[in-house]
Amino acid sequence: MKRDPVIFVVVALALSLMLVFAYKATGKQPKDGPTGAGKPAPEFALQSLDGKTIRLSDLRGKAVVVNFWATWCQPCRIEMPWFVELQKQYGPDGLQILGINADEDTSKEELEKFAKGMGVNYPVLLGKEEVEQAYGGIQFLPITVYVGRDGNVVDKVFGLKGRGEIEEDVKLALGQKKPATQAMK
Amino acid sequence: MPRKLTQLVWLVVFCSAIFGISNLNAQDIPGRKAPSINMVDPGITTAIRGKAANIDLFFRISQGFHVNSNKPRSEYLIPTTLRLTAPTDIVIGVINYPAGVEKSFPFAPNDKMSVYGSQFVINFAIRPLASVMPGKYAVHGVLKYQACDDATCYPPKQIPVNFLIKVTKSTSEPQGRNPPQSPHVHR
Repeated sequence: MKRDPVIFVVVALALSLMLVFAYKATGKQPKDGPTGAGKPAPEFALQSLDGKTIRLSDLRGKAVVVNFWATWCQPCRIEMPWFVELQKQYGPDGLQILGINADEDTSKEELEKFAKGMGVNYPVLLGKEEVEQAYGGIQFLPITVYVGRDGNVVDKVFGLKGRGEIEEDVKLALGQKKPATQAMK
Repeated sequence: MPRKLTQLVWLVVFCSAIFGISNLNAQDIPGRKAPSINMVDPGITTAIRGKAANIDLFFRISQGFHVNSNKPRSEYLIPTTLRLTAPTDIVIGVINYPAGVEKSFPFAPNDKMSVYGSQFVINFAIRPLASVMPGKYAVHGVLKYQACDDATCYPPKQIPVNFLIKVTKSTSEPQGRNPPQSPHVHR
């Protein structure tokens, strides 16, 4: 059978284009980096608004929700009341939510006022660049990392999700629910 | 149509389809594509010295994003603002921002925000004083904004805003000799 060289070129070009776009797409994905599920959550020691130093390692044995947020981030403001409720509901089961603030030009007093206004009942920590980098960089907010009782990341969530999905991740971190892949077995 | 030409046309269609699909997917993942704002080149606005000229600056927001309006509904949200610096003796009037449109995030439909989506126009008047020499003048400024998509928000950003105005004499002014300077852009 005689093959038309033009068709060959068309297919080759199409495949090349698909490869290029696939490569570009993966390159721009938000990177889980060192904080992918199953990996140990990077250690940090950050100062809270009330002046205490909070170390992630001190919370070993608890499920920890590390929520990166900023005052200018509307989706962060939407999920904050949910975190307040979840802290109340699951705190006795061993949940600790930590809000790491990513504002650059906001004073501690303003943050205190904001947190008070939102009724935040969990520690708000003053973020540091090196912690943000350790968690894969903060290109946008919110970013929430769910850490299991063993100190390993169980999920990393980019952007606002529904309250139900957040609660499912909280249960996963608490060990009250098995990951989807395990649950199917 | 010759067969080879038909095949070439199919090639272009096929490649465009692949490009389209790739970009369609890019919109689906939050945070994948950073937002941007571009100002449409306003061209050169002519202003008669001693009189006000109206200027509209058009800004386009990249697809899938919105920015807070100039009057967001919370003191903590960052408003879109334009700051301009005009050359000496050229006065910039009050900057008029458009009203925002109401928007809410899918997970909080009752939480309304005031935003600009896709494009917006900022308007102001510019008035060269009667003492200004005719010629072209550059106006510089900065547009500050903070963009979000349906699930994420990006840190505040600013872009430079530059445009030219051409100052002319009024037709009612006595026509004298040309000024000693040759026309040039005053920066």
